[in-house]
Amino acid sequence: MTFRIVVFISLCLSVGLAWIIESGATDVFLEAARPDFQKIPLGVAGIDNSGGAESPEGRIRLGSRIEEVLKADVRRSLVFSLVDLPSIGIKVGHLGAVPDPEFKKAAEQGVSVIVWGKAGMTNDAKDPDVNMDGYVYDAGSDEMVGGKRYAGGTSVVRLMAHRFADELVFRYTGEPGIARTKIAYVSEQGSARELFVMDYDGYDSRQLTADGFLNLMPKWSPDRRFIVFTAYRNRNTQNIDMIELATGKRWTLVSLSGLNITPALSPDGNFLAFASSHEGNSDLYSLDTRTKAMQRLTVHAGGDLSPSWSPSGRELVFTSDRSGGPQIFLMSMDGTNVRRLTFEGNYNAAPAWSPRGNWIAYVCRSPKKEYKICLITPDGQKRVQLTSGPGVDDAPSWSPDGRHLVFSSTAGGKSQIYMINADGKDLEQITFTGTHNSAPTWSPAS
Amino acid sequence: MKRLQSIMCAPLILGSILLGLSGCFSKAVQSGGEGQSAQQGAAKGSNEGGVSQNIPDTSFFGQNGSDGLRGLDKNPSEERLGGNTLTAKADPGSASRQMEELRAEQLASEAAGLRDVLFAYDSFAISEEGRQVLARNAEWIKSNSGAHVTVEGHCDERGTLAYNLVLGEKRAKSVRNYLVELGVSPKQLLVVSYGKERPVCAEHTESCYAQNRRGHMVVKAGK
Repeated sequence: MTFRIVVFISLCLSVGLAWIIESGATDVFLEAARPDFQKIPLGVAGIDNSGGAESPEGRIRLGSRIEEVLKADVRRSLVFSLVDLPSIGIKVGHLGAVPDPEFKKAAEQGVSVIVWGKAGMTNDAKDPDVNMDGYVYDAGSDEMVGGKRYAGGTSVVRLMAHRFADELVFRYTGEPGIARTKIAYVSEQGSARELFVMDYDGYDSRQLTADGFLNLMPKWSPDRRFIVFTAYRNRNTQNIDMIELATGKRWTLVSLSGLNITPALSPDGNFLAFASSHEGNSDLYSLDTRTKAMQRLTVHAGGDLSPSWSPSGRELVFTSDRSGGPQIFLMSMDGTNVRRLTFEGNYNAAPAWSPRGNWIAYVCRSPKKEYKICLITPDGQKRVQLTSGPGVDDAPSWSPDGRHLVFSSTAGGKSQIYMINADGKDLEQITFTGTHNSAPTWSPAS
Repeated sequence: MKRLQSIMCAPLILGSILLGLSGCFSKAVQSGGEGQSAQQGAAKGSNEGGVSQNIPDTSFFGQNGSDGLRGLDKNPSEERLGGNTLTAKADPGSASRQMEELRAEQLASEAAGLRDVLFAYDSFAISEEGRQVLARNAEWIKSNSGAHVTVEGHCDERGTLAYNLVLGEKRAKSVRNYLVELGVSPKQLLVVSYGKERPVCAEHTESCYAQNRRGHMVVKAGK
């Protein structure tokens, strides 16, 4: 199935051309539709090793490690296309802050941006300090247009590369980039399922809970400080809990009887939408986190669950089996104006509204009874099946730039977490260890 | 657009429901903050519990923390980066308590001879075979009037995690309702859904799927 629709014109957003297009009752933030958009050619002319570290070997690893992370970030940004400089005859390896004459040669061959830098480590064997300088050459002005100088412990080496990559994206698009974003997920620990958080590229995984039973379906607060999720604290009740990442402090927000699942905070952080079955079957509710007033949004004999907010916070997309099998529905945030969005297939669930508003990702069951990731526009006009093949795909979650999705899949046997571009390209597995990793959810950008 | 008008009365209905619900709020008060301890004694499947009155401020004004980008600079000053501050708050006491409870319940359930009810794909209807299983289970529960039984609804691995929780609850409620039809006191029964999160069989095969689509009854230990 060809899929040609998603063209991201971040450059236009950077100069303020974000259009809000009203489409039916849904609001859609469309990036400018410029089909001729080209990624910006960017070359990395090396992150070299400055003096300091005890062993030359350690120093070599430091520079090349940072360079490797930076290149992967640049590639995943989808804003730049990574040019291999040596392959077009450009020498790499430049320690100074002054652009090398080689850069002009690269510019003549169409490279728009060249980044380079150096990294070093202090001699303190126990607690070495790492520093990194990064510079940016812009072919348009033929000069070094800016740089960064980072310092920190050895635990922030990858973060230095991520921050530098995000600075590049920010400079050329006005958007913060995704290299410093994180993915929360659920991982099987013995017979329990616990919450974890990792970097967006799958590194630096940290365990958040250790309750010994089930913790499910995490979602971020818009300020990235909290994660809301379903916790089976005493095994018989599913509460909606919130955990503060910096401290591990926990609150129980909802402890109604029955199922309390699929929490999602609104983009302004003021409302928690969730599903609860305390009044019979699973229905949707909205909790005002300031007044603590709870509003019932759906009143129906069918099961309603998995609310996901539109970027404006005015609408919700959700799963409902009111018409038989699960289907995707839309409604206003006050529960009015309910309408069915999906009609293809008899199993559509787990919707996630893109932060750009233009797509809703969800799990669709193919005619071959395979559970795959699909995309549909909020007006229902365009529908695309994004993944294919064996295995159960579940829990799609958008990157904050709307260019990628993470999801879980049993394609390789065990449930693991994968990343894919919104145009279906660059499928990348990002978790490899453990027996069962599921329910990935991408953090907002910062 | 016509649909829109036909739903104009919905806010009124919702409003009245809200009024009805407001009674829940007063009994829903929990001390938040140290939410962990507040929850230890909370509703064991009863109709207690509700919405916390102590929720930290989650309002978002477009700022998220101090780790924002500062832009490139021709003469950059040093940015010192802090390490990852995330901390796992392990509660080994809770984990081992859960394991002990699970073991005790498993033993009690095996001793009682309660058997599983199996379901068809995508279905929460109880089969003829399931009715026979439940008839036997009901006899045990009725003759042990002090026992409390948790009916767990489970699903196979196909489908989404979230929808399987709803499907699992439907299965558990089907079982509960049929047991009540057979004369079991509803007070002895508690319903919980584990969706596809606690399979008994891990293979990706039809026979495994069939074993996992089950209504499982456990005798609660203690109380």
